[in-house]
Amino acid sequence: MLKNPLLAGMVVFSYLSLSACQAVTPWQRGILAKPSMALEPHPAQSAFREHAYGSREAAAGGSAAKGGGCGCY
Amino acid sequence: MVAIKDCKKKRLLRRASSSTVTQALTLAAMALPGLLLQPDVTQADDEVGFQYGHYQESRRQLYTVPNNANPIEAESLLGHARISLTDRIKFAFNYVQDTWSGATPVTTSPLVNRGNRSVRAATSTGRIVTVGASPYMTGQIKLDKNFTPLRYGDNGGPLIGPDERVVHVLSTASPETRKQGDFKLGYEWDESALDIGGGLSVENDYESHFGNVNTRWDFNQKLTTLNIGASYTDSATAAIIDHDASPYITNIALASLIDMPYADQIEQQGAMRILHGDRSDWSVNLGLSQVLTKSSLFETSFGFTHSSGYLENPYKVTTIVFVDPKQTSAQLTGNVKAMLEQRPDERNQFNFSTRFVQHISPLDAALHLGYRYYHDDWDINAHTFDAEWVQPWGHSWTITPRIRYYSQTAANFYSPYLLSKQAYSTSLFDETTGRVTTTYFDKNLLPANFSSDQRLSGYGALSGGVTVVKQLSKAISLEAGFEYYIHAGSLKLDGSGEGSYSDFNAFMANAELNVNLSALDQPLPDSGHEHHHHGAHHQHHAVSPAGVMFDHMMNEPGAYMLGYRYMYSRQAGDMLHGDRAVNDLAIVNNGCSKGAYRCRLTPTYMDMHMHMLDIMYAPTDWLNLMLMPQFMDMAMNLRQLDGAPEAPAGAHVHSGTGHATGGIGDTGLYALVKLFDRPMHHLHVTFGLSAPTGDVDIKLRRTHKQDEGYIHYGMQLGSGTWDFKPSLTYTGHLDAWSWGAQANATVRMEDNNDSGFAFGDIFQATWWGGYQLNRWLSTSLRGSYTEQGAVSGQFYPVVGVVDNKFVSDVNPKAGPMDYPSSYGGRFWDLGLGLNVTIPDGQFAGNRFAVEWLQPVSTELNGYQLDREGGLSATWYLAF
Repeated sequence: MLKNPLLAGMVVFSYLSLSACQAVTPWQRGILAKPSMALEPHPAQSAFREHAYGSREAAAGGSAAKGGGCGCY
Repeated sequence: MVAIKDCKKKRLLRRASSSTVTQALTLAAMALPGLLLQPDVTQADDEVGFQYGHYQESRRQLYTVPNNANPIEAESLLGHARISLTDRIKFAFNYVQDTWSGATPVTTSPLVNRGNRSVRAATSTGRIVTVGASPYMTGQIKLDKNFTPLRYGDNGGPLIGPDERVVHVLSTASPETRKQGDFKLGYEWDESALDIGGGLSVENDYESHFGNVNTRWDFNQKLTTLNIGASYTDSATAAIIDHDASPYITNIALASLIDMPYADQIEQQGAMRILHGDRSDWSVNLGLSQVLTKSSLFETSFGFTHSSGYLENPYKVTTIVFVDPKQTSAQLTGNVKAMLEQRPDERNQFNFSTRFVQHISPLDAALHLGYRYYHDDWDINAHTFDAEWVQPWGHSWTITPRIRYYSQTAANFYSPYLLSKQAYSTSLFDETTGRVTTTYFDKNLLPANFSSDQRLSGYGALSGGVTVVKQLSKAISLEAGFEYYIHAGSLKLDGSGEGSYSDFNAFMANAELNVNLSALDQPLPDSGHEHHHHGAHHQHHAVSPAGVMFDHMMNEPGAYMLGYRYMYSRQAGDMLHGDRAVNDLAIVNNGCSKGAYRCRLTPTYMDMHMHMLDIMYAPTDWLNLMLMPQFMDMAMNLRQLDGAPEAPAGAHVHSGTGHATGGIGDTGLYALVKLFDRPMHHLHVTFGLSAPTGDVDIKLRRTHKQDEGYIHYGMQLGSGTWDFKPSLTYTGHLDAWSWGAQANATVRMEDNNDSGFAFGDIFQATWWGGYQLNRWLSTSLRGSYTEQGAVSGQFYPVVGVVDNKFVSDVNPKAGPMDYPSSYGGRFWDLGLGLNVTIPDGQFAGNRFAVEWLQPVSTELNGYQLDREGGLSATWYLAF
């Protein structure tokens, strides 16, 4: 890991943004449209698990505000 | 949290109506799922879903002391809905409710301090028995010259040697409930979208409000999506400090003598101390998702959060061992004290996360790989790796095994406990004045920040699980998940985490029902199900009030109906005996078991909320089957009665604070049988069974060195008995008018449940009339008579330890709510209701109803709170 995580991330981000991806025409996107290819296939369940992780792990913050309460237990 | 994956299929497909086959294919294929980092309300099908989840931790290692306290567990209920208001405007909301209870670490201390002490008690024969552990935050220990704690044999035994082990000090919390509601409203343009959201999360001791805004931009023929979001959260803590603990917390104990941190944030209300704190959190994130090939995609995002204010956990204290270095003896004496943890007032958190999804064609599976890096200026660095294999199976199953690894370094101010090389206090005797002056430790010699919260320690966590999804039709899916979680210091990336004393395991299990509103009426391929037009095949019942259950049947074989029912009732105001208000003295003298006890406490209010899911299926036109799981939560507050006697030893002493319970209630199974069906008149009978899935063994936690038994009958979550629930329902209508009547009963089929009691049987008769005001709105008026018997039997005695003595029954007996005779009664109510049926458009068939039930006459058994009324709200959709 680079010492500055932000910098490391920026490098990867820029690389991916700039590198030439395969040209995928709209009619070639059938596979991408499958439910299994969704970035989050089980969203409600993930939210439940994330809430449990969030009340037990330090690295819960940093994402968009969605409440979650104190988690003081 | 809003679940968003699929793109705007509907809009795209509608546009395709006039195009060629190629164009149609193109547009359909462009409906890419989830090319989004933050879920975006504008990009998904309309959906309604309900989820139940359970989290359960294992017991902690306490070494020599038996740990019989139930570890922390949480019950969670989620309801979510997402609907298209117009083609371009979408609305989503979530409701989440968590109830948790059980034992968690309040601090960490040297094992030799015996922070968890055996609760010992004498039996009737005088034998001393160990029955459990009780938390001690202070004490005295011996240390050697190197400040290593020393262990001695039990009961003043000889020195055994140095012992550097530490242990969590566990404290048990009574059940508490958190409720959260949030929404998102989104507008979509052709290649961009904007959504705004907000919400509220409320607990007894914590409240937060939040708002967010997200934008999405599609580029490059939607191969690339950029997301930018920002959010703000404002939270307030008002934590009631455990009254057993507060005399031992140095911040409170010395507040009147010296200037102590947080002293100005602690409010005193009678015997209660409430710690107040405010915090705010700003967050921004930037994300990019990219289609890499026709079978792989990628997303990456950066997040930054700035938090400021009171960032502490109000229930965590840090153990400080004060050792006066001027001691000359061979062994040093350490004074063990506890202080509220002190975290920095600011925290800056950075996130970088990335996810890669690859389709594995030979198996038609999808491999998901994720990595997240986290850094904050408390010096916590964390890495999360996760992998999922989403495997479709047959036409309708999906099985997803999953593994996750997490590792974090400790915060720079984390320490299991602190050693302060100074005297806790020094007393000087002034011979001239004859006075003793005491000076306390110099708090400037303590670190500016400290915490022993294990969430800030270094450790690793490995978890694995599986999710199974069964697609019942295009529209309806059932989902179940399980995950086992192992937290251990040795699992930290470099193996150098916290000691094994802090290790624990946990499991999470959940079940979910989802209805894709956009896909209703579409059967599974090859399923052979016939096509229904939803909303079209159930009988006319538009004006049955929301509070009437089993009011209608579906008459088309194969039809389904999904409903959600919320019921709220409140008791508050005067205490009644029969139908008359009584004063405190009457309750003191007569409200509790006559002679044996006089009452000391009385309830000030009791709220009950029920969330029910109605799942109805019509195998034939004359028989409908119904499954009704429910989730409940209750809250009650107590006050001291004027003229109450002193609390006897072993009696329930809480007052001024609330009790709460929550979780799964009883589950209903019903069969509705049609008896008579003419255009104007309909009659059906319902046979129901209520299965005792709700807990009836919830106990109050040990306080004031006293065990406590079962929480009041009415605060238990179920009946504990198998109950028979028959009803007979008649409905009729003519033009805009409708009417109906129902008789129903609840008959307990067992004399007592596993806790020793049974609620009284219930009989209810109700009748109503309704008028259809226009195509979509109708109104109803209802009368109702209900009769419920008192509780029969009583809680089995709970043997407990009070002030180190065994007591044969520690069940609370301090107020009328603890006595079986103060349950049930005879009630007359009047209901006013509104019903909305959406007649056409994309939401055709959705029905909403709301009814307020106003008590007209109340005659209560024993001594009970008056009734304020009840609200019922329902949503139904048949398809």
